[in-house]
Amino acid sequence: MRGAAVLFLTLYLLRSLVAELNSALSGYHLWLFAGGLFVTYSALAMPFHEGFWASILGGLLCDAMSPLPFGTHAGLFAIAHTVVYNTRERLQREETTVRVVVALVANVSLFAAISLMRIGAWHRAWDEWPRMLSDLVWSQAVIALIAPWFFALQLRSLELARANPPRPA
Amino acid sequence: MLGLALAAWLLAPIGLKTLVRSSFFEMTAPIEVAGSYASDLQKFWALRLHSKDDLIEAGRDMARLNSSYSLSVQENGELRAEVERLQALLRMPPDERYRFEHARVAERDFSGWWQRMIIRKGSDYGIPVGAPVVYSGGVVGRVAEVHAFTSVVQLTSDPGLRIAAVVDGDTRPISFQGAENQVFGYPKGVIEFVPLDIYASKSVPRRLATSGLGGVYPPGLTIGEINRVEPSADGLFKTGEVELDPRLAELTEVTVLVPVSKE
Repeated sequence: MRGAAVLFLTLYLLRSLVAELNSALSGYHLWLFAGGLFVTYSALAMPFHEGFWASILGGLLCDAMSPLPFGTHAGLFAIAHTVVYNTRERLQREETTVRVVVALVANVSLFAAISLMRIGAWHRAWDEWPRMLSDLVWSQAVIALIAPWFFALQLRSLELARANPPRPA
Repeated sequence: MLGLALAAWLLAPIGLKTLVRSSFFEMTAPIEVAGSYASDLQKFWALRLHSKDDLIEAGRDMARLNSSYSLSVQENGELRAEVERLQALLRMPPDERYRFEHARVAERDFSGWWQRMIIRKGSDYGIPVGAPVVYSGGVVGRVAEVHAFTSVVQLTSDPGLRIAAVVDGDTRPISFQGAENQVFGYPKGVIEFVPLDIYASKSVPRRLATSGLGGVYPPGLTIGEINRVEPSADGLFKTGEVELDPRLAELTEVTVLVPVSKE
């Protein structure tokens, strides 16, 4: 499980960076969601169990900081991980572009799922959509920008810890 | 595997979930607090670049403010004594007393889903869950979670927060709730159960303040300004929109009102 631990550390770093960025952007009412990045690399490049636990631990990290019922992010990340893992053989998963696209799609899906869960708390759900849309667009732009760096960081961290899975033949 | 993990989590006792949540929160707290301290240090060095003339000027302004505040403190003391004397005469229950606990903001989390901030004081300073949080502009929110060295504050702009409020100059309670926070806009809230004879518009806004009902917030604290009211669908009351202070999204320091009776 060394691979899961190393991936968890990279997710910890990602969460901290995104949280700092969100804190700095709060005055503009901009907020970034990077859930897609928490599952993509572990689902595309790692053996199932190691990647699965890394995604769940990353989800628990997000859960600890959110007012959602504890386990919501972890559950959603686990589902997203399983879906991506089961489709990865049909993808050119070694390609960075493919990984970025998977991260973007996973991010939209997770964002939509959490938004649906929060609808009950809003006074007028219809009035919220411009803000939701704006958060999503900015999040997607930032993910497209940082995903190649983050995947490289995860790969390099696994190599340093000698926990990188063997490349498929 | 997925099914097993989800089933295990659903069947896990609440105590275990609470412990895991608390552990993960405390795991992330040092990074947030360190970031906040680094930001403070950055501001400190930026301020060191100011000239001595600036410092002398600021000191002079502070001295003027101090003298006017000293006068206000004296007046406040006299008024408080008067209130206590009248309360004793009328045998009214005494007002809730609070201890002021000032805290730096470590992190702000202003999503469309929730609006929260983390402050750098927690159970180590005796901060209780539910304590009101204020700043110079009025109400910030209430303490939603307390951890070892940090606390999470739910803001007035959070859609999940409701406050019993009154319109300035009126005593009838109305309900305030946080609402949408548009990008590059100001934070908003909505009010419900507004009496039909209350009017407000953008040109003639009305101040919305806490009512003191519910026992969380002391009465008279500013929540925001009502800039629109319109009859509700049932015609019995009005609903309206409240503009909150834009500084709410950029606060660096807040004050937690810790009820003395809870200590």
